[in-house]
Amino acid sequence: MSFWRLDTLFLAFLSLLALLTPLLGPVNEAVAPPFCKPLWLDHESGKPLSLNAKDNSLSFTWESKPPKTFSVKGTVTFEDVPKSASLLLAGPSKTYKLVDLAGYRNFDVDIDSRDVPLKLFLGLSPFVDVSSVIFSERGAYSLFIASDVKAHVDLNLNIYTGKWGIFGTDQRGRDVFRLTLAGIRISLLVGIFATLIASTLGMGLGLFAGYLGGLADSSIMRGVDVLLAIPTLPILVVISGVWGRGLWQIVFVLSIFSWMGTARVVRSLTLSLREAPYVEGLRALGAPTGYILARHFIPEAMPLLLAQMALGVPGAILAEAGLSFLGLSDPLMPSWGRMLHEAQVFGAFTSGAWWLIFPPGLGIASICLAFISVGRRFEEMADPRLREMAER
Amino acid sequence: MNTLNNYWLRRVLSSLLVIAVVLSLNFFLFRLMPGDPTGSLLDPRFSPEAKQELLKSYGLDKPLSQQFFMYVKQMLAFRFGISFMSQRPVWQELAERLPNTLLLLFPALLLSAVLGTLLGVAAAKGRGRLTEKAVLLSGAISFSFPSFFVQLVLLLLLAHAFPIFPLRGSLSVPPPTGFWNLVVDRAWHMALPIASLVLLGFGSWALYVRNLMVKVLGEDFILLARAKGLRENEVLWGHAFRTALPPIVTIFFLSLPGVISGAVITETVFSLHGIGKFLLDSVLGHDYPAAGAAFYLMSLVTVICNLLADVVYTFVDPRISFRRLR
Repeated sequence: MSFWRLDTLFLAFLSLLALLTPLLGPVNEAVAPPFCKPLWLDHESGKPLSLNAKDNSLSFTWESKPPKTFSVKGTVTFEDVPKSASLLLAGPSKTYKLVDLAGYRNFDVDIDSRDVPLKLFLGLSPFVDVSSVIFSERGAYSLFIASDVKAHVDLNLNIYTGKWGIFGTDQRGRDVFRLTLAGIRISLLVGIFATLIASTLGMGLGLFAGYLGGLADSSIMRGVDVLLAIPTLPILVVISGVWGRGLWQIVFVLSIFSWMGTARVVRSLTLSLREAPYVEGLRALGAPTGYILARHFIPEAMPLLLAQMALGVPGAILAEAGLSFLGLSDPLMPSWGRMLHEAQVFGAFTSGAWWLIFPPGLGIASICLAFISVGRRFEEMADPRLREMAER
Repeated sequence: MNTLNNYWLRRVLSSLLVIAVVLSLNFFLFRLMPGDPTGSLLDPRFSPEAKQELLKSYGLDKPLSQQFFMYVKQMLAFRFGISFMSQRPVWQELAERLPNTLLLLFPALLLSAVLGTLLGVAAAKGRGRLTEKAVLLSGAISFSFPSFFVQLVLLLLLAHAFPIFPLRGSLSVPPPTGFWNLVVDRAWHMALPIASLVLLGFGSWALYVRNLMVKVLGEDFILLARAKGLRENEVLWGHAFRTALPPIVTIFFLSLPGVISGAVITETVFSLHGIGKFLLDSVLGHDYPAAGAAFYLMSLVTVICNLLADVVYTFVDPRISFRRLR
């Protein structure tokens, strides 16, 4: 049985993506209007345009229905103070004056079609959608500067249609595809670290309880019973509400409440190993307890522990997603649960924005399925009887 | 008989221990919070005397140990104090919401247990057939798909795209008049939450029952029953299922805490006026008396369910009393 199968390849691919997340740049910034559809979903509106003007005029054609918004940003530098100058946007039949530049040598242009001053400047009502007025016709458009002195221009014209990127945008206009990619990192970090801490804790306490027996055993196992009897999600909600919402707080809280299963498994293994003849032999030879535990018990428990870990990761990922979904996570941390939380709270339903729900949801499910599949294989390696049962 | 009493004594003692831990968590966690407990109630312009007065009225001027005993006494008597947010007794708020939560959880749990058991038995009977594959798949899905995602998708499909069910709430606003109209309206609102919980829950049930039944069906007494010429249904339900029943009953009770945990998420997704959403809202609104009481109530239910699981087990499994005695 080879290690590299679909599930492990998938997890390796995800880990690689998670490592590359910093290359995405800031994911929390708005890149387009809110609730844009994915590019491949919307065939009616045109492609979003992003054009840069270096010389005095910029020409393009607009062949679809009016865009949602547009913006012009950048600088205009004149060689001398102009007496008359303006930034114009010419359509097939009409020319609109966007800004009056007269009297300034350097001018920072920052126009958004949603700005009320622009609407008033154009002589429109504050409630009119400027882009639907200007881009109401199809044909050739040009952005240019009319002035009495020569101008150096560095302007960016962005025309936003109702579609953006591979997965569209969310309620703040953030790119959902990049948020989804960034979410991989959080899920993997929380899942793996919470499980690592929990299994270390569980293994330590399980070994301790099983090997020493007596009072240590009964008190640890009593603690396990108590923790197992406390309803998990409510206590997590209470603790993260009290403690704070950072990534490591969540990791820590999750690991405190998920070591019990491992402790039980390791304890029962230790109980059976403790009476094994070879261990008795080791003791008779004078091997110290620490040596026996480290050199014989831990390697013996390892396959089982690996399986427990791989099967524990989905639990931690789901718990983190649940907490984030309930709004108990850092709002600046782009996790999948947080995305679903925002989709629910900020009206993905009223705008029918299903593309906000599927990427994070299917992301969580696929990571969990992959870990479960890997865990099952570890389990079969640890206990070959399971394989026979599965084949039978 | 002595051992049996000992067993029950141990069980009750450990339940009390759980309650003690929950109460201490409740007490100390909320006191670790930053800020002055009177901060949310008192305007900073009030005089220090007024603040002392308020602290005294809440008993916060006494030493911590005394406060703790007072707190435990109050909690055990179900006196939860006044909610910071609504300024109403917390007990009233909880009592108002409890029926909603029970109406959501019990039908859902019962339906998923019955459906899961039937499917699990069917899967064990028809090994390698489509039923078994479907059960295995639905089990895997219920383990790996986040519940809120499934519920959001159901909402999107059946409440937004095809508006068959309401998007939110547990009753129409304003509520319809007449008893039967009210019942129908309630059922219409609860249909989607309950259906989603059943959809998420039956898979693991079916998987569990199937595994138990497969094991039992492989035993010799089943072969004997078949050799006696009993009908297949008799063998399946009268012999095999009867043997697998005790663990199934235990799991029914042991799954209650998880279901209660799930209430927090389900009630949030569907905006239901229940205990789970109350806990979340109180935690988010820093309403400590309310949050503590809701958490205490949930833990209490969990502990009682664990005890009930043991009690019922002795009824369903006649061997248990002998085993404990030996």
